[in-house]
Amino acid sequence: MTDLTQNPTSGDRVKRFLKDYYIYLVLILVVVVLSTANLDKFPLFERGNFLSERNIINILRISAPILTLAGAFTLLMISGYIDLSVGSAMSLSAVVYAMLVINGVPFLPAFVATVLLGVLLGAINGFLVIRLKITPVIATLITLSLYKGIALLLVEDGVSAIKSGGDLKMPGWFNDYGRDGVLFGLPWAFWVAILVTIAMIIAQDRMKLGKYAAATGGNPTAAKLSGINTARTVILLYVLVGVCAALAGIARSSFMSLGDPLSGDGMELTAILVVLLGGTAFSGGEGRVLKSFIGALIIMSLTVGMLTLVPAYFQTLVVGTALLLAAASNHLVSRRDSEN
Amino acid sequence: MTDQAIAGRRLAERDNRLSDEMFITSLVAGAAVALFLLASILVPNFFQFQNVVNLVTNNWAVISLGVGVTFLLVSGNFDLSVGGIVALSGVLAVWFAQSTEGANALSSGWGMPTWLAMVCALIGAMLIGAINAVFVVALRVPSIIVTLGTMMLARGIAQVVTQGSQRNTNLPSDFGVLGNMTMFGTSIKLPVVLMAVLILVAVFVERKTVFGRLTYLIGANPVASRLSGVDNARHVIKLYLFSAAMAGAVGILLASEFKSGFSNRGMLMEFDALVISLLGGVAIAGGFGSVIGMFFGAIILATVTSAATGLVLSPDWQFTLKAIAVFIAIMAQTWALARRHA
Repeated sequence: MTDLTQNPTSGDRVKRFLKDYYIYLVLILVVVVLSTANLDKFPLFERGNFLSERNIINILRISAPILTLAGAFTLLMISGYIDLSVGSAMSLSAVVYAMLVINGVPFLPAFVATVLLGVLLGAINGFLVIRLKITPVIATLITLSLYKGIALLLVEDGVSAIKSGGDLKMPGWFNDYGRDGVLFGLPWAFWVAILVTIAMIIAQDRMKLGKYAAATGGNPTAAKLSGINTARTVILLYVLVGVCAALAGIARSSFMSLGDPLSGDGMELTAILVVLLGGTAFSGGEGRVLKSFIGALIIMSLTVGMLTLVPAYFQTLVVGTALLLAAASNHLVSRRDSEN
Repeated sequence: MTDQAIAGRRLAERDNRLSDEMFITSLVAGAAVALFLLASILVPNFFQFQNVVNLVTNNWAVISLGVGVTFLLVSGNFDLSVGGIVALSGVLAVWFAQSTEGANALSSGWGMPTWLAMVCALIGAMLIGAINAVFVVALRVPSIIVTLGTMMLARGIAQVVTQGSQRNTNLPSDFGVLGNMTMFGTSIKLPVVLMAVLILVAVFVERKTVFGRLTYLIGANPVASRLSGVDNARHVIKLYLFSAAMAGAVGILLASEFKSGFSNRGMLMEFDALVISLLGGVAIAGGFGSVIGMFFGAIILATVTSAATGLVLSPDWQFTLKAIAVFIAIMAQTWALARRHA
């Protein structure tokens, strides 16, 4: 982020401005386009435009999982590591949470137990990467497969998800957390996402963790030599991502009122997309939590808004193209001066 | 003897020993055989010749994809787009070959002759490979992110072309020939024979040609290879085009075998191709690994999954088993190499 040029030209200043504020411009652009488009035909929007209260509430409710995840995932990527298992960790948490609730565990104990599960899932990733020295991509691919496999095994054969049926019945309060408006019509799940994001912004700007993460990603050797415990930093970040994945799983499962072992599929791609869109450098060292949060809002507005304009089978194409464009623009904006 | 002579003799002794790569490959091959024997003891009716044949013939698609993926991994690059390309090329081949006057959008295509449709589909597949190459080589975006993007891009195009389902009507009668042709009077189909030829050619290229050895050099030390006058960029571009072409061919053969272009075909094949390469001892950091190892990695995975099915475990076990197999393989290889050098 530090600009070492002494006399910035106007071109540099424009570039700098674009680099700092483009994400907000994109968000405004997306909102303007979607509010001018004719969305009458789509039931989710009722009648009226994109900015209707009901529609905003809808989008923010659906976005709770990715909004929860974006912050911690950004910090992890800033430190130069990656977690491909977030989707599976989210599915597993959703299944475990639903199982606890359907078996009569009250809200708070079930919630705490699932968050603790998130700590464990994150710690396993950290252990594989740091202690066993397995490349992050491979280590988290292993746990992607493992967590998803366990989630599938927890659900009985012949049933697609944990839900009411047989002797067990899901209590009525189950989807309050993900759906019931508590403040400005928005549910707990969304406010938890906001709290998590604020916590991550504080961690990035005011705490050692943020600085250590940036140092680890920028130059691991220098970080180590200056006395930073990079191993502990990275393990802590994996645990944070695990906890956020668990929270995202709780949000998703209470929104859908069931524990679906496939509900987190593809979440790792969305998380990467959102973080790249926010301008975090792949090489690590740079990035902002808040920008990833805005990136998540953009992607969710786009996916929901798109359903009104094109058939659902365009979704994969659009997300794939967005990922490639985000990667390319990320490269163009944050290109280092000295490339070897 | 002088110190120099001793050192020289040590070097000579080391040359006579297996290289680390052959060591790991034989380890993987040994593990594959051991697993097969273990499965034969545990699972009734597992120890049959036909079963050995099935382990290979049921997996020709993933093994063929594994060749391109292995070469790229050796050069230090990921290719996760192959599964998407399998879907794309199959869908394109069918779409191009469907006759022009169908009853609805999904049953009418471009009316090309079969061979032309297949060639065009292959070109479409290689375009995805070209996108991979541009992003990885020219824009220097990490290959894992690029190929995840192109995986979705390729599958996304396939989904748009098939409107989220599949195309299987109004095909010329010769469309299904290639994928269903049996060879040498046995039940072995053409794609399996092509896979065998591909493996042999790949082993030759990998061991005996300059191109193959350069791939290792680039993966092991890209700076050294550039300083010694190798055009790294061009080499990686060729590898991505090759991998995409192989994936395209697999997709076309599958489309021909089932006489349909299905947008969800090849789902998770990119992960399986990566998994068998890792099981086969290919190092993710580049510069280390072999196609034969990848082949035995595929046999290991096939043995584990088919033994699990034989033991009447639910199919849900496959993800957990894959995770455990890769974990054990990586730890065992690291441990074996560390011991060897100790």
